[in-house]
Amino acid sequence: MLSLITWAPLAGALIILMLPKEKVQTIQTAAFLAAAISLAASLAMIASFDRGTAAMQFVERWIWIPSLNVQYVLGVDGLSSPLVLLTAFMSVIALVGSLGIKERVKEYFFWFLVLESGMLGVFAALDLVLFYVFWELTLVPMYFLIGVWGGPKKEFAAIKFFLYTLSGSVFMLLSILAVYFKSLPHTFDMLELMKTQSAWDPRFQILVFLGFYFGMAIKIPAFPFHTWLPLAHVEAPTPISVILAAVLLKMGVYGLMRIAYGITPLGFAWFLPALITIAVINIVYGALCAMAQTDMKKMVAYSSVNHMGYCLLGIAGMSATGFSGAVLQMVNHGIITGALFLLVGVVYDRAHTRDISAFGGLAVKLPVYSGLMAMTCFASLGLPGLAGFISEFMCFLGAFPAWKWQTTVSVLGIIATAAFFLRMLQKVFLGAFNEKWAGMQDMTVRELVCVVPLALVTVWFGVYPKWPLDLINATIVHMLGK
Amino acid sequence: MIEHAYLLPLIAFFASLVMLFAGKEDPRSPLPWLGIGAMTACLTIAVSIFWSAAFGGGVLPYERNWRWFSLAASIGGKSFIVDMSVGTLIDGPAAVTLVVVTLVSLMVQIYSVVYMHGDTRFKRYFAFVSFFTAAMLGLVVSSSLLVTFACWELMGLSSYLLIGFWFEREGPCEAQKKAFMTTKLGDSGLYLALLLIYAKVGSFQLSQIQQFFDNGFMPATVATVIAVGILVGAAGKSAQAPLFIWLPDAMEGPTPGSALIHAATMVAAGILLVSKTYFVFLASPSAMEAAGWMGLITAFLAASMALVSFDIKRVLAFSTVSQLGFMMCALGVGGFTSGLFHLTTHAFFKALLFLGAGSVIHAVHTNDLRRMGGLSKKMPLTFLTMLIAVLAISGVPGLSGYYSKDLILADVWNHDHAMFWILLFTALMTAFYMFRLFFLAFWGDDRDHEKFSHAHESPVLITGPLVILAVFSALAGAGLDHDGLVSKLLAKPTISVMPGATAAAVAVPVDGAKAETAGHEARGESSGRGERHESHLPPWLHMTAITLVLCSITLSFFMYRGPTYALADAVKANLAPICTLLERRWYFDDFFYGLVALADQAAALAFWIDANVVDRVFVDGWGLLMLIFARISDAFDNIFVDSAVDGVGSLGNDLGVGLRSLVKEGQVQEYLMYAAISFSLAATLILTR
Repeated sequence: MLSLITWAPLAGALIILMLPKEKVQTIQTAAFLAAAISLAASLAMIASFDRGTAAMQFVERWIWIPSLNVQYVLGVDGLSSPLVLLTAFMSVIALVGSLGIKERVKEYFFWFLVLESGMLGVFAALDLVLFYVFWELTLVPMYFLIGVWGGPKKEFAAIKFFLYTLSGSVFMLLSILAVYFKSLPHTFDMLELMKTQSAWDPRFQILVFLGFYFGMAIKIPAFPFHTWLPLAHVEAPTPISVILAAVLLKMGVYGLMRIAYGITPLGFAWFLPALITIAVINIVYGALCAMAQTDMKKMVAYSSVNHMGYCLLGIAGMSATGFSGAVLQMVNHGIITGALFLLVGVVYDRAHTRDISAFGGLAVKLPVYSGLMAMTCFASLGLPGLAGFISEFMCFLGAFPAWKWQTTVSVLGIIATAAFFLRMLQKVFLGAFNEKWAGMQDMTVRELVCVVPLALVTVWFGVYPKWPLDLINATIVHMLGK
Repeated sequence: MIEHAYLLPLIAFFASLVMLFAGKEDPRSPLPWLGIGAMTACLTIAVSIFWSAAFGGGVLPYERNWRWFSLAASIGGKSFIVDMSVGTLIDGPAAVTLVVVTLVSLMVQIYSVVYMHGDTRFKRYFAFVSFFTAAMLGLVVSSSLLVTFACWELMGLSSYLLIGFWFEREGPCEAQKKAFMTTKLGDSGLYLALLLIYAKVGSFQLSQIQQFFDNGFMPATVATVIAVGILVGAAGKSAQAPLFIWLPDAMEGPTPGSALIHAATMVAAGILLVSKTYFVFLASPSAMEAAGWMGLITAFLAASMALVSFDIKRVLAFSTVSQLGFMMCALGVGGFTSGLFHLTTHAFFKALLFLGAGSVIHAVHTNDLRRMGGLSKKMPLTFLTMLIAVLAISGVPGLSGYYSKDLILADVWNHDHAMFWILLFTALMTAFYMFRLFFLAFWGDDRDHEKFSHAHESPVLITGPLVILAVFSALAGAGLDHDGLVSKLLAKPTISVMPGATAAAVAVPVDGAKAETAGHEARGESSGRGERHESHLPPWLHMTAITLVLCSITLSFFMYRGPTYALADAVKANLAPICTLLERRWYFDDFFYGLVALADQAAALAFWIDANVVDRVFVDGWGLLMLIFARISDAFDNIFVDSAVDGVGSLGNDLGVGLRSLVKEGQVQEYLMYAAISFSLAATLILTR
């Protein structure tokens, strides 16, 4: 099952490679089919997922490189299954958004599907080498997707993204090798490593943890390694921004919870005071930076820094509530921020500018667009009844008993978040209508097909978070119960 | 019906959804009648709940919960799954408030059919009103603080939508943002209080939290922190000093919407929250005292500002702030019953005042009191109903405001004489400025002939609600005061443990009878009744207060009855500095605008640091580090392997430029690989040894 989910997009990519360049529609159809198979399979997987157990499910295990004891192991639990589903879901959404791509269609969809395979593999892999391969597999497609189809400074943004994240993963590779040589018998199997780690001395764990952390912190992105993100987001085409925010950032947090916490818990515990500080900085400083932006997309990008800070906050609390809050926050942030990027793309497609002060009064002419944008903004600033609130609140709940003052300071971030979203709403949608945009059309069917499902899920998870939380709970209780 | 109390918010919510999404936007859309029908149903349910609570055999509090979702939690190193509930908790205050909210909302909606007639977003307005009411009803009936908080925030959203309903204009946009941000600032206090409660109690169920307090498990200092957090939240929503700044601007919205905000929903929520969590305050005398003084200061400041305003809605807004101060002050001094009683009566006459003002504005198309005058001739029904409302809010004996204000003053008198005198002075100001408004608008001759000649009495859908509300404004006080009904319904909750006692010492509750039924019975009725009898002003003081109010009204009459109000201008000229101070609203707004400017500067600074320091150090610096590393490993190669790697020499020139130049070289991956391999070899050697 997991192999199907993971490899279906790659198979689609190979098929696309064989299709002639001119047959745009066929290429698009093939891409959709591949992604749809992946989504359908992950839905089927979720449907038969046992919510009562913390064990790995749908495990597939083959020997890959016998001499090094590298295995092909896939499996999901409550931590990864929501993310697998999120990836498959957001990929389809982003593919709908990609229909607007007009140049070099074949290459675009090829890279897109390769990227999807890589992301799904990261969440499904249970062998460190396999994990690392998938992790790096996401880099190359992303590099091309930003570098070829991006905005004016695309090359610079792409290379900055690529080198920066690559340099981070170097350290991760180091740590992977370190735990391999430390374990007896030598193994890359995460599950084995999680069982044996308790014997390792703290000094070793700390060093290994730091290696993992560097690799993941850049992806998350945690302060001070976040500066690649706004640039990459601004330059990337809309669907790629969606994928970047919705899935790629989650790889970092996922890695932190699965690997850094799972394999080197002592190092993790040692790092907690630093982690909470970083979380607070991410939250408050990210929100402040977002407040200073005049470009809508850059503002949303910095809001991602702020929101990933909530994830870190939840994790740093070292409580089950905080951990499950962080997982849910990943999912919710993916959905909400994905929608935000899509919506910013809508106005950019029409106006070719994202300058907040270039608009005004759009709510008069574009009621549907304004309504959806307002809803998504309110979801992002944590309005109860919409998805963002409950996960954000759980992160705070989880962190508060351990870090009272830091959590209190973080609440400032919530206020700042509200401030910049409201200001954006006011400048773009309210006030007197700017006649310059008199010819602007409301959302097309294609755009609605992208955004409305996300909006519906936002409401669903906001009102009734039982469904996603039940997926997560058993695993988290097991993880923290040790 | 009490077991179906959950229907109240749901009906209103679904009506709002249907109105928002069904049908087309049309100035004559029939959809608003759906909202009115839904609200009528809600009113029926609310009245039946009230009836069974007041006269029937209904046992309060009534609680019913459903499982909402489950979440993982860790306590003491162990992790498990806990349930989060959603449910209803109906006690006396809730039963009363439900009627008030649904009644006022219904009146507002009927009134709005005419008032908003022809607006391009006609049905959307009704959807917002219904949504607002639904959020308030949810807050009232909820048994869980988390749901209460959710409704609380949704109410913030509704006020945002309603205040900025005419968003094409600059004023409403600024006002809606100001309202949302100011209340959000307060909400952060409540947010922290929730975190602290959950960290201590492990539940958001009000009854469980109360039981926790009852058993004395909550240390007094923590209780104080929680109470202060709640108080900050209440200050935001209920417009207490210094967070009242949003309310006077909130009148930018449609006038009936203002009536809803000022009477039934938004501002009542803060007071109601404090009453819902009153056991927290009972456990913390210092928080009680803080609430009392906050209310007192608010009441005084707002009343003083109302003295000089010439905008009819702004005067009313200040009066709302001031009256809320009365309620908060009452709650702070232990006057639970009187505070909530005033909340109830105030809702009727304040809704009436706003709707009356709307009727006036509808007729003369201005908010400026100086351009009104003599309207009693043109609008007799509006005039009469407004007279009742003004008499009620001034506390003239016989009308509803008198009963509740009298109780508040008595409670404050019993608590602290100094507070009493300040509050009495505020009450005199209230009578003065309310009659000032009244005389300016309705008395004497007209000041603006054009406006006057166009004025006419409003249609029956406007005057009808006015009359109904006038009846309630006149009689609600006496009705509820009759036969001790108010003391029965709005009985002060008790906690069985005195604050400060240690957990061990209070394992045996002070009151033995309470032991078995703690929590549920703690909201019970018996204790409040006993207390009620002693809260009366001494007769001489009572008479003095009434006399002073009448004097104040007379003074107002002489200053503002004529078309020119020369006397008032003379007074104003003599007290110019004070007038400026009041007109600038005691500089509270300037203070908060300063805060906003400060936040903007902080944001600009943060972004500057991000672009010029963090990015440079951690990206370019990182590139530089890699480059140096590559050179070292290259040198390593040269010495030991004796085979040079091509193209390295040229890199040396770019050393200082960092990553940006690295990009051009295109060989970075190779170096990174070298770096990685040598790094990993070295590290594995060290680590595995």
